[in-house]
Amino acid sequence: MDVKGSGKKKERASIFSQWPFNKFGNEEKWQQLFKTLVITIISLVAFLITWWGLSELADTDYLPDPETVFRSFIDTFQIRDPLTGRNMWDNIMASLTRVMWGFALAFATAVPLGLAMGFSKNADDFSKPVVEVFRPIPPIAWAPIMILALGVLLGPIVLVFIGVFFPLLSNVIFGVRSIDPILSDAARTLGAKRSHLFLKVILPSTIPYIMTGIRIGLGIGWMCIVAAEFIAATGGGVGQYIVFKAEVGRYDQVYAGLVVIAILGLLTTELSGYIERRVSKRMGML
Amino acid sequence: MKLTLEKLRKTFPLDEGELVAIENIDLEVESGEFVCLLGPSGCGKTTVLRIIAGLDTPTAGSICLEGKSISGSGSDRGMVFQEFALFPWRTVRKNVEFGMELKRVPKEERHRISQKYIDLVGLDGFENAHPYELSGGMKQRVGIARALANEPEVLLMDEPFGALDAQTRNLMQKELLRIWQETKKTVIFVTHSVDEACFLADRIVIMSARPSTVSEIYEIRWPRPRDRASVEFANLRKQILAKLERMVRIEDDGTQR
Ligand SMILES: Nc1ncnc2c1ncn2[C@@H]1O[C@H](COP(=O)(O)OP(=O)(O)OP(=O)(O)O)[C@@H](O)[C@H]1O
Ligand SMILES: [Mg+2]
Repeated sequence: MDVKGSGKKKERASIFSQWPFNKFGNEEKWQQLFKTLVITIISLVAFLITWWGLSELADTDYLPDPETVFRSFIDTFQIRDPLTGRNMWDNIMASLTRVMWGFALAFATAVPLGLAMGFSKNADDFSKPVVEVFRPIPPIAWAPIMILALGVLLGPIVLVFIGVFFPLLSNVIFGVRSIDPILSDAARTLGAKRSHLFLKVILPSTIPYIMTGIRIGLGIGWMCIVAAEFIAATGGGVGQYIVFKAEVGRYDQVYAGLVVIAILGLLTTELSGYIERRVSKRMGML
Repeated sequence: MKLTLEKLRKTFPLDEGELVAIENIDLEVESGEFVCLLGPSGCGKTTVLRIIAGLDTPTAGSICLEGKSISGSGSDRGMVFQEFALFPWRTVRKNVEFGMELKRVPKEERHRISQKYIDLVGLDGFENAHPYELSGGMKQRVGIARALANEPEVLLMDEPFGALDAQTRNLMQKELLRIWQETKKTVIFVTHSVDEACFLADRIVIMSARPSTVSEIYEIRWPRPRDRASVEFANLRKQILAKLERMVRIEDDGTQR
């Protein structure tokens, strides 16, 4: 935050007067960070050793050791599959494209509906029964029928849509309901009409909640796409890759596929979590 | 603008029965008058302001502005909230400009006016700060600037200086009087401080404890700026304090309602 002028300078001066204390706090923070890092590394190493030990003990093709999986992981990005002509990048792009389409559809519908349901009691009363009937159905339960009915192209996208839609919707509604009513009061005494309230109070204060919905929704979206690709097997995709490899008995590559899914899932959540925090901070809602 | 409260009554529903917050309030506030509302905590001062602002509807009775009955909120009645009620996602400047934005005041003029009021409340240098970066007193000053920048006819102020230190408080009182004398706004000012009320008001309206009515009205005709050290000031203060104390005691005993 760049604040210029005399007032802020005074504030800064008071912070500097606490300088030794401040420095101490910083040091403590680095120490804490270092400690976390060390523990994380120990945890990961312990995990790899356990995995390796188990694979040695079990001595079965179903559980290859970490090194084999790591090699296959690297190879999948470089070597095109002789059958499909795709490498892992192609599969990732295929899955990612589906997730993005499904997500875009869900965003375009869940946000307006959520705002309306949070804002207007009539809209809520109208939509709630239907929403509540559909919400408890696990998105993956729709997979067989959706893919039969909509085909291998649209089916997986619609599954992602279902997966993202409900968490996003709940968060938007919750966001609208969490607005401190006194903010609407303040806006009204400044001359705000209902449409102003919606655009200038409700929409901005809901944005951090929308971001939370996006983060949760994207996580679920990933799970849905993999499941969908198990069933619908054309056009590539990470889920599809795993099914193919399992069928031909390349279990090392199956695990490599799992690692890819884990990394992509982690990246999506971390990235959207980062954006979420940035937006909340920028909007002054910590 | 002349403001009339007629047989105002407000009840809030409870799980069983209802809470009578305001029993019956009749009050006339002349155009350009400065009225202070004083009363025990929980007697309904905020409720009265909210009803005048059009944020709450009275259970019975009416509010008239210039003889016309009003319902609902409008930018002719500005309010400074006890809880600040700043928009957390907006900077100080953007908070102050909110009302002008709604009225589609051109950007440059908006900027000029908001700067004027930001300077006035002593927040220059903090234009781009967000509310979470400000202290309670500074937040309250943003609230005041925001209400003033919208240029309402009636200014409703709910303990606006409660969160300020004594020095800033005295300064803001003087500034408020200056603005009021310049703009001739009608001001209804809620405070817990008898001293503040004596310093500011044309009339001090004392409200009784719940269920509240107007208990007494003191008219103060001294010229401004008033001298806090004067004998008459001290006497009036003592008189009002004694009155308030009696009221609270009565409430404690529960012997009289
Ligand atoms: N929305 C509401 N629902 C129920 N009761 C309410 C509501 N608003 C206020 N009250 C009650 O009405 C009474 C008056 O409240 P109000 O906030 O107007 O008092 P006040 O004089 O402003 O108090 P303070 O000096 O503490 O600010 C209180 O007993 C309060 O609990
Ligand atoms: Mg109050």
